Amino acid sequence: MSSHNQDTTGAQTTQEARMGEGVDNRFNSKLREAFGSSPFILTKFDSFMNWVRGSSMFMLQFGIACCSIEMMHTYAVKHDLDRFGSGVPRASPRQADVIIVPGTIVSKFAPRMKRVYDQMPEPKFVVSMGSCTCSGGPFQEGYNVIKGAEEVIPCDIHVPGCPPRPEALIYGIVKLQERIANGETAPVTVKPYELEQFGDLEEDELVQHLADQIDEEDLVMRYNWAESP
Amino acid sequence: MSLEAPEPSTHTDVGVTETGLDYDVLESLLGELVIDRETHHNAEAFVVRPDRVADALSVLREEAGFDHCSCVTAQQYEDRYESIYHLKKYDDPTQEVGVVVPTSIHEPKSQSGSGVYRTADWHEREAYDLVGIEYDDHPDLRRILLPETWQGHPLSQNYDQERQQVVPLTEHANPLEEDHRGGTDTMFINIGPHHPATHGVLHLKTTLNGEQVADVESDIGYLHRCEEQICQQGTYRHQIMPYPDRWDYISAGLLNEWAYARAAEDLADIDVPEYAQIIRTMSAELCRIASHLLALGTFAIDVYGDFSAIFMYAFRDREVVQNILEDLTGQRMMFNYFRLGGVAWDLPEPREKFFEKTRDFLDELPTRLEEYHNLVSGNEVLQLRCVDTGILEPEVAKQYGCTGPVARGSGVDYDLRRDDPYGYYDRLDWDVVTEDGCDNYSRVLVRLREVEESAKIIDQCVNLLEEWPEDDRTIQSNVPRTLKPDPDTEIYRAVEGAKGELGIYIRSDGTDTPARFKIRSPCFSNLQALPEMAEGEYVPDLVAALGSLDIVLGEVDR
Amino acid sequence: MSIADTLGSALGLGSLGPLEDFLLSLVGAAFVGTFVLLNTAVAGPWAKRKITAAFTDRVAVNRVGPFGLLIIIADAVRMLSKELIIPDGADRPAFDLAPLVLVASALLGFAVVPMGNGIQLADPEVGLAFLFAVASIASIALVMAGYASNNKYSMLGGLRAVAQNVAYEIPLVVTAMSVVLFTGTLQTSQIVGAQAETLITIAGVSIPSWYAFVNPFAFVLFIVANMAEVGRNPFDVPEAPTEIVAGYQTEYSSVYFVLMYLGEFIHIFLGGAILATVFLGGPAGPVLPGFVWFTIKIWAFFLFTQWARSALPRVRIDQLIEIGWKGLLELSFVNLLLTAIIVGVIV
Repeated sequence: MSSHNQDTTGAQTTQEARMGEGVDNRFNSKLREAFGSSPFILTKFDSFMNWVRGSSMFMLQFGIACCSIEMMHTYAVKHDLDRFGSGVPRASPRQADVIIVPGTIVSKFAPRMKRVYDQMPEPKFVVSMGSCTCSGGPFQEGYNVIKGAEEVIPCDIHVPGCPPRPEALIYGIVKLQERIANGETAPVTVKPYELEQFGDLEEDELVQHLADQIDEEDLVMRYNWAESP
Repeated sequence: MSLEAPEPSTHTDVGVTETGLDYDVLESLLGELVIDRETHHNAEAFVVRPDRVADALSVLREEAGFDHCSCVTAQQYEDRYESIYHLKKYDDPTQEVGVVVPTSIHEPKSQSGSGVYRTADWHEREAYDLVGIEYDDHPDLRRILLPETWQGHPLSQNYDQERQQVVPLTEHANPLEEDHRGGTDTMFINIGPHHPATHGVLHLKTTLNGEQVADVESDIGYLHRCEEQICQQGTYRHQIMPYPDRWDYISAGLLNEWAYARAAEDLADIDVPEYAQIIRTMSAELCRIASHLLALGTFAIDVYGDFSAIFMYAFRDREVVQNILEDLTGQRMMFNYFRLGGVAWDLPEPREKFFEKTRDFLDELPTRLEEYHNLVSGNEVLQLRCVDTGILEPEVAKQYGCTGPVARGSGVDYDLRRDDPYGYYDRLDWDVVTEDGCDNYSRVLVRLREVEESAKIIDQCVNLLEEWPEDDRTIQSNVPRTLKPDPDTEIYRAVEGAKGELGIYIRSDGTDTPARFKIRSPCFSNLQALPEMAEGEYVPDLVAALGSLDIVLGEVDR
Repeated sequence: MSIADTLGSALGLGSLGPLEDFLLSLVGAAFVGTFVLLNTAVAGPWAKRKITAAFTDRVAVNRVGPFGLLIIIADAVRMLSKELIIPDGADRPAFDLAPLVLVASALLGFAVVPMGNGIQLADPEVGLAFLFAVASIASIALVMAGYASNNKYSMLGGLRAVAQNVAYEIPLVVTAMSVVLFTGTLQTSQIVGAQAETLITIAGVSIPSWYAFVNPFAFVLFIVANMAEVGRNPFDVPEAPTEIVAGYQTEYSSVYFVLMYLGEFIHIFLGGAILATVFLGGPAGPVLPGFVWFTIKIWAFFLFTQWARSALPRVRIDQLIEIGWKGLLELSFVNLLLTAIIVGVIV
């Protein structure tokens, strides 16, 4: 999927790793590579495509916790997210452009969320909604809670709040649309938690202990709670 | 999982006296099973040897009529592990008794009570998962909230929270390859954790026989946010109160806050001024309306598909309720409005405007409900779908400890607001709604009719508040700045939350934070009954049954 | 009169040679195809949202262009430009062909539909039979999609689609037969022609003998069967978003998804076109030209499906099959029998 799977181990801290390598190339078409950087038509074409992507988006019908209630309010009567061309929730990730992550992510769910994110076709965007997806929010001290969605998938917009009001979510989505229309995206950050095959994990006590429980080829996510920010 | 009809208990009045339960009679009934007695704030508790648990429980159930195992609390002391079974009667929940089972610190093994109370199954799995007590002859002792591969038991002492963990994601074979369970021509299918019908992150391991559900197993824990741990770290007075809002997050926050407030107030012996009780009652019922409306809306999504008109209408009306609650509490969902000994502040000024707004909503409500009845309960296609599907017999419901609209939809007349009065409910005029259909339709209908009852309550509260003398508007009683209840006091108290009996167990150790804080979530017990309702039905009925249970994963997983 | 003739006379050509006929037909086909696609383009991303919003007290798209109309361009281009994901283990030719078959089968149906003012691509003697035959190819596309996606939800959706289409195809055709009994022909232009006569004149307003008025019972039966045929609420079980995610189209993304989506909408319009042709006098109507009336009628059916979508619960798959085999089938045969007797006695 992502070509930015950098190794986070070694001397690099999580913080450094997260700085990433700058802007990603999600918008760069093959044509642009072939023609060079600034022919008139391609520039116009690019800005047209950005306008297109910024004006209309399908959301993934995805609910986790408290914030999903406010998210539903945002879709529903009074706030009506569809005014901005982004109020069509699709049940299947294959047809969605934007995933709003509305709620606390816990250890058991993170691999599944990563999976759902991976199933979405490019270009895809992530709105992380609520304090929990920014940092773990009020549950940050929990033994089971991932300290923010950014640990698992790259986020384009963070909407803080517990939960954010529907107005705030709309603002976040409009901001995202604006940024897409201007051709800006968040740098693809390096995530500390990735899905790996169990067989590829570094051998240590824990891995040996689990060896008879988990199949070599099963995907696993390994949490290093001590290093979490 | 067939359920033979349990013998109707004939001796439901053992030890029942005018003034309450006579625990001595109960003790003599149990005879030598009792090795000690403890006094909890809510009831007496009998200490039982770990290898005689099932005997003691079945005596209490069969001979003394304690047919409701509302909760199983597990905890670790310095020198021992302990499981407490909180027993009640569906007929009269004020008659309570506890069964305390101590086990050794080195080999925490205890007999399982799941043979006596079906609901103990999941509760014991949770106790095993979080605290680490092992239950003998438990049918299926696996982790329930945390991943299978988790290391350590987080609520036990000396758990290392910094330890690394590995969580697997098992992929299932696609349909064209072999992925049969049980060797027959069935198909295994994962419904969830990301699926439009699971109301959050529930995972149903479903085995299908064609379109029929042959077997369904709920896999929960995808939203296990360590609520108990966090409450155990918070101080009684201020730091715990924000969290109950997030258990049942469907705007039912005040009902949850009340559960904590009630338990802590009884534990520390705090009085609540009458005026504050009325405000509590009114605002809690507003929450109930909001919660039931959402239940209706999401049920409509399940049965109607996508964003149908009913869903939108339900949200339109919820917006109104949320506006009123925002005026009152300052927040749309996470209110944090109750305080121990009262509420945070008085009604918003100008009061007349607040009353007018609330009254407008109440006046509008009958028309709205009419609309819902036209669209939902009066709709023939819906009746075709929901009548006689997802059957939950009353006896089965009791076995699983179902409460709230789910139990009342099965004809179990159980409502803590009336049976175990708190707040201002016993001085108001309202009815408990029950339906005898035991099906999806009844459960939805119960909720719709409960909205009417809640409206009645709110109306009376508004009248009372309006006429309340101005110099008697005490909103909080005096509560010590740092609250330290006496050491080793224990209490289990429940209120009628939006989904049923929401109970809190607190054990204090003399400090300003609880030593054990256990949440008895109604959804946790209700969800457990899903296989009974869904097996043998079609996939759409499974989805409808789940919708009619109205679970909130935040409360199931906590 | 076929569309080639119409174009020919409009261009002032005399009788057409085979080559001219072929070329003009091609132009005509392009015109019909564009017309249908234009309708679906308006319906899919824009009208559907606006209509649903109107039913649910909302506004829906209003930021991009006037009334949010530019969303059509944005939506279409965006979806087409997305990454196309072919799942591992998908049955390749079938997976790729399914969306094409779905769209093509629906578009083909429009070839024999008279759209007024001589706009009809072809007018074979077995027009109606051709219409039903082509429309029912869609169910093959759905089962292909469901099977080839290698996804359990798709599989369920595909199987449901087949069960449903088989159950409702028969009542649909049998009900249409009762109309054929009146007209005595399968040719669509003649069916439309037969409905031009005046049925009754009330206070100077002459009501045409549309078969919806002549045999309202058959009309209702046909609408119900048609709703099931195009898979809309309360019969949208093959898709059933809350039960089986997105049914047969769960795994489709990008271009294929656009085609699937398009195919569905073309099918709704084709359903409307069949309804208009058989029961509502085709393009007939006062004042406005026939072509406009035809458009109004297919949109009316579209509106009807959207109304049902917002207001009606979906039935369960077994109930759906039951209604189909035990209810509609019997009723449609009763209708056929009675119509036959009446036609035999009166005519």
